[in-house]
Amino acid sequence: MALLDRSAWYDIARSTNWTPRYVSEDELFPPEQSDPYGIPIAEWETFDEPYKVSYREYVKVQREKDAGAYSVKAALSRSRYYENADPAWLSLLKMHYGAIALSEYAACQSDARMTRFSKAPSMRNMATFGMMDEMRHGQIQLFFPHQLVTQDRQFDWAHEAHHTKNWATLAGRHALDDVMMTRDAMTTSLMLNFAFETGLTNVQMIGLSADAANMGDFTFANLITSIQSDEARHAQIGTPVIEIMLRNGRKAEAQQAVDIAFWRIWRVFALLTGIPMDYWFPIEKRDRSFKEYMHEFVITQFERQLIDVGLERPWYWEHFLTDIETHHHCQQAGIWSWRETVWWNPNGGLSPENRDWLEEKYPGWNATFGKYWDVIIDNLQNGREEKTQAIGMPAICNMCQIPISNKGGTEWKARVHQHEHDGRRYNFCTPVCKWIFTTDPDRYKDWNTVVDRMYNGEINPPTAENILRFMGSGVVSKGGADAHDYSWVNGYRGQPHVHKHSVG
Amino acid sequence: MGSVALISRLQFDAHTRVIDVESEFTMDQVAEACCAPAVGYQTTHPDPSKPLRIRRTSDDDSGAPLPRTTTVEQAGFKHFEMIDVYVD
Repeated sequence: MALLDRSAWYDIARSTNWTPRYVSEDELFPPEQSDPYGIPIAEWETFDEPYKVSYREYVKVQREKDAGAYSVKAALSRSRYYENADPAWLSLLKMHYGAIALSEYAACQSDARMTRFSKAPSMRNMATFGMMDEMRHGQIQLFFPHQLVTQDRQFDWAHEAHHTKNWATLAGRHALDDVMMTRDAMTTSLMLNFAFETGLTNVQMIGLSADAANMGDFTFANLITSIQSDEARHAQIGTPVIEIMLRNGRKAEAQQAVDIAFWRIWRVFALLTGIPMDYWFPIEKRDRSFKEYMHEFVITQFERQLIDVGLERPWYWEHFLTDIETHHHCQQAGIWSWRETVWWNPNGGLSPENRDWLEEKYPGWNATFGKYWDVIIDNLQNGREEKTQAIGMPAICNMCQIPISNKGGTEWKARVHQHEHDGRRYNFCTPVCKWIFTTDPDRYKDWNTVVDRMYNGEINPPTAENILRFMGSGVVSKGGADAHDYSWVNGYRGQPHVHKHSVG
Repeated sequence: MGSVALISRLQFDAHTRVIDVESEFTMDQVAEACCAPAVGYQTTHPDPSKPLRIRRTSDDDSGAPLPRTTTVEQAGFKHFEMIDVYVD
């Protein structure tokens, strides 16, 4: 029997709204879950999916994607790729899976909220597919690293990380809880689908996929490309929501939601993506610098998308451009120095050649971030390995939960942006994280960073050993060590290297 | 005697750090405590020929240094107060 063309039945099939007779509309769609903006339901019914797909088509395509990903995995397993892979690449996988796998399950719940509570039938339809997408992403990114646990216990963090209080996990969870787990269905779509998925995942999926292929890890390259093809579809849920909000006089609210989410995710995303791209892989394997990716896939594309839907660039755009030049460099340094606190083995990777590359890509690197590594390299060359392990604690941002750092060396940019609320002093990394707090202090005021917990008795006594145990280091697996066992320092032995300095 | 946690900005250091100091510490001792986890680990002394001074952090970095013999208690530092540690 011939099938009807999709366009002949699609609009009827997804027209699933009805007039409730036994409950009120607000009981069916509670405003706090469905629409705190008070937009008439007839307006939501104009929501039109930018990307139409039937369930039959969806299942067929997803099955093919999974078959492709699993077959590549099987082929690479036969070549024993992971037994012989570059340790820095394995570190990326451990970090990625620990941070991402269960976040995908969380995103599934977010899509489920849209599926249940959206007043727009088409949005419910798209979110249903989005929910199944995220379930697949969670499952596949738990299954793939699981095979590696017997090889290296740190891969167990793919399952464990989200159940720990590791600082990096707290940073990721705090951001994701804010943008996708504790918002109504409409705001979630602005924050998760538009700001996060449309704004930032391209770099993760396209950039890292290219690096993965260059490193010979076709399993990971295929996996994240497969995931991104889903993201590209369900990310489009947010655009019609913005259009409807703008038509109904809610531009300011839409803009604020996008601005908050974009910054929150950026702060975490730069660690996951920027650090490995610029520090962990051999120069010849790098596709582009993180900054180059950000300019092409985020600054240019996302800015255009914002304008296209009628929104503005976030007010903090200049701060964002500065952060692209600094944030991941600071965190590469800090994470490497406090490497016992993380579940992967961060790569120092500061060979003389890499420094030249960084100076070329980030003019001024040697005079600022390079000074930090000069001290470390001097310690390693002179048998003071113990002084490369950080002691004490950095100040941590009460919003992004990330240590507060900035350019040093010949500059003095590190600064805490403080704010008093209800008699408590809060610390923020930037004016942007501080601004987010002030948009809704009651929402954020009771959360404590790891440092706060050292002083409120939660980590008691706050010894180094107890802090590490609190974060799961040494519990799930031992904490991180240098991925290459400091071999990158060998390039400095016996031959003084003159670091390049940009003329500015 | 009691302790207070300060947030230290050591000149040219990339990190801000949480430093526990005792109430009877002088500003010179505060500076020493702030240097302990930083200098020789991830940064160098900004100018070893000069003493490090302490001031409350301000938006425009214009504050005057506190006298070197002033104690934490006399300075009135509170929990998580941010200080600059620098050479004048």
